[in-house]
Amino acid sequence: MRTSTRAAVAVVAALAVLGPIGWFWFDSLVTGTYDMAAMGYPDYGGGPATDHDHRTGIAVADLKGPSGTPDVAVTLTAGKAGSRYTLNGASPGPEIRAVQGQLIQVTLVNESVPDGVTLHWHGVDVPNAEDGVAGVTQDAVGRGQSHVYRFVAKDAGTYWYHSHQVSHEQVKNGLFGALIITPRGATRSDQVAMVHTYQGKRTVNGVPGISDISSSAIKVVNTDAGPIRIWVSGTTFRVTAIDGRDVHEPGVIKDQAVLVTAGGRVDLRLDGPGPARVDVGGGAALTAAGAVQAALPRDTLDFLSYGKSGFLGFDPDRPRRRFSYDIGRRFGFLDGRPGLWWTINGHLFPDVPMFMVTTGDVVRMTVHNGSGEVHPMHLHGHHVVVLSRNGTAATGSPWWTDSLDVADGDTYEIAFRADNPGIWADHCHNLDHVPEGLVAHLAYTGVRSSFQVGGPSGNTPE
Amino acid sequence: MRSVYRALSGLILIGFVVQIAAIAAAWFQVLNDVDDGGVFDNNTRNWAHIVHAVVGAEVIPLLALALLVVSFFARIPGGVKWAALTFGAVVLQVVLAFAGYSVPGVGALHGLNALVVAGLASVAMRKAREADAKPAPPVAVA
Repeated sequence: MRTSTRAAVAVVAALAVLGPIGWFWFDSLVTGTYDMAAMGYPDYGGGPATDHDHRTGIAVADLKGPSGTPDVAVTLTAGKAGSRYTLNGASPGPEIRAVQGQLIQVTLVNESVPDGVTLHWHGVDVPNAEDGVAGVTQDAVGRGQSHVYRFVAKDAGTYWYHSHQVSHEQVKNGLFGALIITPRGATRSDQVAMVHTYQGKRTVNGVPGISDISSSAIKVVNTDAGPIRIWVSGTTFRVTAIDGRDVHEPGVIKDQAVLVTAGGRVDLRLDGPGPARVDVGGGAALTAAGAVQAALPRDTLDFLSYGKSGFLGFDPDRPRRRFSYDIGRRFGFLDGRPGLWWTINGHLFPDVPMFMVTTGDVVRMTVHNGSGEVHPMHLHGHHVVVLSRNGTAATGSPWWTDSLDVADGDTYEIAFRADNPGIWADHCHNLDHVPEGLVAHLAYTGVRSSFQVGGPSGNTPE
Repeated sequence: MRSVYRALSGLILIGFVVQIAAIAAAWFQVLNDVDDGGVFDNNTRNWAHIVHAVVGAEVIPLLALALLVVSFFARIPGGVKWAALTFGAVVLQVVLAFAGYSVPGVGALHGLNALVVAGLASVAMRKAREADAKPAPPVAVA
């Protein structure tokens, strides 16, 4: 072959290999500053194709909590020392407690976190502007700045708060705390157990190893990135609430572990009277003197058939919209970085669906995970009810959740009422997965964005 | 171009050595950490896991891609073929790594295919050396 021909063939072959790669790389680049609501494509779920103009309508920033004198006023000062994040000098931050119906006001002050901070009220269905997602519902609070959150403690239950700015790093390294809303007139004492793994050591309320048990009502909060199994020794028990929603007529549990997914909460009531111990794995436990640790039970409680069925308050069989949230994984470029990234309905971020709803819609969603790893899926601003898993219908208490453990290979049918206008993140709470693309949004018609990811505040919600 | 081809295939071979060392160190590190009261959970990644992930999912695929592109210009008998096979084996290796998350048994194939990658890269390196040793093929003159 002629040298020139050879060279031409070589160049063509090289271009044939590199050209498509270069195109995919280029096509994946995301501008430094963007409107989250304008990313991806609108998905109307088979319902009416409503207006998808993000420039008209009510602004996210105007969807604020009520004014007035707060019943509970707390100031949380965020700090960073080394890689450790604290609120009022501690991690976990202070436990915030309110009685149902009270107005909560939290002033977040950023003393020394260089990247900025926010607070998201995980599981509390707050008005959109109070949701604390940097670049979507507010700007990140820079060093020396502050931000006030106000919302009514509408539903009693176990919740937690955490930063939603560079959240995969800030939450892992301590920027979180508990939020407990107790029913009016409640007299029963309880004990909160915030489970977190700091630098490879599992802790309960920041303490590794064993701590004293002080109540028969234990509220377990999993602030880690992965699901944990908890188990009780020395007594039978019940799960009285999941993700801040009471279980209807919970049955007695014996020799079964309980799975608490990342971000999820479970309230336990220990039957007693013997000395009890609650293990959360990794040697961390709450224990009474004299309690003997049992081995981790082989069986795990299935919430799908736990408790007695009850009234949902809406008819999920006649939805206005049906969405699919199909999680996969494939090779590609994400903002120019090659790698194996999570996909939603086959697409890589930012080419992901924007689930469009109208206030009052009954919405059904099929969540499928074919990605090889578990994903604790968290929808902001709403509680969803589980209808079925892998075709098996839910027969127990209505299983309301905001953090759903979707194991590899599982398919869940869930439903909810679109009753909280705004733009809401719907993402995996293994927070390391969010910068890897596992985030979509639920957007209401007639709501326009007020904030941008990136920008002068350096908004980085993931 | 031949020396570049030879260097790239050699680097892939070195990458293979780094990978087997790193993954062994990673799991011994886990055993050590757990012994020390540590927790092995969903997101546990020690330094050696990170080395294995970066070298395996980024460095070696890039080297294999570069080897393929260079092979078009290197004029090594069989050079394109061995570079393409090496590249293919590397792609398979990444696929097997992630398939292993769903089906852990596939992880065994990931271990075995590593030997295939190393074998193909060393053949490619030898082809470059042999081509260097022989006089350059006569250039056709019109």
